[in-house]
Amino acid sequence: MRANDAINGLILILLSVAMFAMTATFPAFPGQPYGPSLFPRVLATLLVICGALLMWRGLAARLAGARWVEMAPWTRDPWRVGSFFLMIVSLIAYILFAETIGFIPTAFVMLLALFLWFGVRPVVAIVTAVVATLLIHWFFATLLRVPLPRGLLDRIL
Amino acid sequence: MDALITAAGLVFDPSVLWVIVASAAFGMFVGAMPGLTATMATALLVPVTFFMAPVPALGAIVTATAMAIFAGDIPAAMLRIPGTPASAAYTDESYAMSKKGELDLNLGVNLVFSVLGGLIGVVILIFCAPILAEAAINFSSFEYFWLALLGLTCAIFMTAGDPLKGLTSLIFGLLINCIGIDPTAGHPRFTFGSVELLQGISFIPAMIGMFALSELLRGAVSVDQQGAVLAQKIGNIFTGVWAVFKKYWFNFLRGSALGVAIGALPGAGADIAAWISFAVSKRFSKTPEKFGTGHIEGIVDATSANNSALGGAWIPALVFGIPGDSITAIVIGVLYMKGMNPGPTVFLQNPQFIYAVFIIFVLANILMLPLGWAAIKSAKQILRVPRNVLLPIILLFCVVGAYAMTNSPYGIIVMLVLGLIGWLMEENGFPIAPAILGLVLGEMLEQNFMTSMIKADGNAMIFFERPIAGVLGVVTALIWGTMIWRGMMGRKATLAPTEPDPTPGT
Repeated sequence: MRANDAINGLILILLSVAMFAMTATFPAFPGQPYGPSLFPRVLATLLVICGALLMWRGLAARLAGARWVEMAPWTRDPWRVGSFFLMIVSLIAYILFAETIGFIPTAFVMLLALFLWFGVRPVVAIVTAVVATLLIHWFFATLLRVPLPRGLLDRIL
Repeated sequence: MDALITAAGLVFDPSVLWVIVASAAFGMFVGAMPGLTATMATALLVPVTFFMAPVPALGAIVTATAMAIFAGDIPAAMLRIPGTPASAAYTDESYAMSKKGELDLNLGVNLVFSVLGGLIGVVILIFCAPILAEAAINFSSFEYFWLALLGLTCAIFMTAGDPLKGLTSLIFGLLINCIGIDPTAGHPRFTFGSVELLQGISFIPAMIGMFALSELLRGAVSVDQQGAVLAQKIGNIFTGVWAVFKKYWFNFLRGSALGVAIGALPGAGADIAAWISFAVSKRFSKTPEKFGTGHIEGIVDATSANNSALGGAWIPALVFGIPGDSITAIVIGVLYMKGMNPGPTVFLQNPQFIYAVFIIFVLANILMLPLGWAAIKSAKQILRVPRNVLLPIILLFCVVGAYAMTNSPYGIIVMLVLGLIGWLMEENGFPIAPAILGLVLGEMLEQNFMTSMIKADGNAMIFFERPIAGVLGVVTALIWGTMIWRGMMGRKATLAPTEPDPTPGT
């Protein structure tokens, strides 16, 4: 997704104005003009300038016939769009469920879903998902002692 | 001398050597897989190295990156797809050689000159870093402020693309870095009452997001497009390499020297070193017309340059704590986690670590010869690993790695959000490397800026009063002047050629 620079510039300006506004709540120190708000304010001002330059350039491109938003070729293929969102959805699902259900089941389901979507043969997909999940669990939880969430398997592990 | 012996004892420990060999194999694999970059290899390694002692941790990173930069040449020659962006400059040339039936010679030259270029990079690192450290020991907040600013300026100046977008990306990175407790007064900023945001944006999950996740998202939409490997048998790759060396030794030296210099400039790494040295090679060649037809000359320059750039990038990283490329940006994060704040004092307090890094660098480059040979011999098997199996596994690896840095889902959330931001930035032509530099250098810049401002008490001239600070300040101002002037003249203020798409780091 390639947006016109005018849009990118506008987003940046809104972001920096919001950040600048938030710095107003930062405390000032008596007798010293430089507080925690100084550095973010300098940056936000610079970012507004950059955003304005980008907008100016984007509008010039727009006048020359460029589109507001240009979608990459893959966005016209539903399967590819699905692949993109499945990656993100599987991450969100992991964040939501791993703590309660546990690492092993969540990771297994996540891998299996992605494998099957990407067209790996079901038998290969199941075997690889099991092996990869257990290997990563062994490596991080046992070897490196990362407290991966145990969840449902708490009693067994 | 004592420190050197201690360092050797630290490196030549069986478990450390094992880590080095294992990360070498890992680096070879990641480098040879198109779509997986050397920076990504580092980002994926860091959660693992987090649990190691400093020497094996640094050893793993140094070795893996050196291997990955070489291994990127293999698919470039065999598939016409660079394994890492650092090989992109001469991919077409390499592939043209393969089509002429010179695949063996091409891979041999790539391997040997990668090793030699890497070694030159290390030698210069070993000579320059201690000398610079001695000078840097007297620096005050003014010098560090200007150094950080100069480093960030170079990062914009060197982006292979649009300087305005590079600058935007940099300021964006600096602004993200403001989230959390501010370094001088200890006041929480932009935390929205969240306890987790108080610690700031966790650096390693952010790196995994921007360099690994964004790359995986790009890979997911083209997962079924795997190149076809050239059906050529690989013979003795070392035949004819000596003849190439005799003919093009000057190109090798020039490429290596350029590589170190570009690597040492903040923000520019192995990929830009390869582009520039390839262009220089063509510009000064006696036979420029042969370029593009499968000619070895430019490859000698560029393949030496991208490996020597790795060593070069460590010079400012170790001496000033200013990363030379996106890989050393991650390394600096690792050093801080290990309690070894990079800077000239490390050379005094922990010289054995510095020497250990040097020894590992030499070792890694020597190890590259047999391992590279093995990788070339088994290239067809490596390149056949299906991407639709690899991609989900790497995704899970990223998740666990990000989690391991915070031991909470916060790490994964940071990774996801910054991964999406990184993906959007790349799509819209904003380079990621400056944003990462901003994230790494933000705190140092702010702290030195605030300290200097308080010392100066409003008198801007004090920023220029100390001799070295003055020179650095004037140089920074000059670069800015040039950039703005060039921008006004409507010309692109970049050194790198504009043909390549802005590539995601090295």
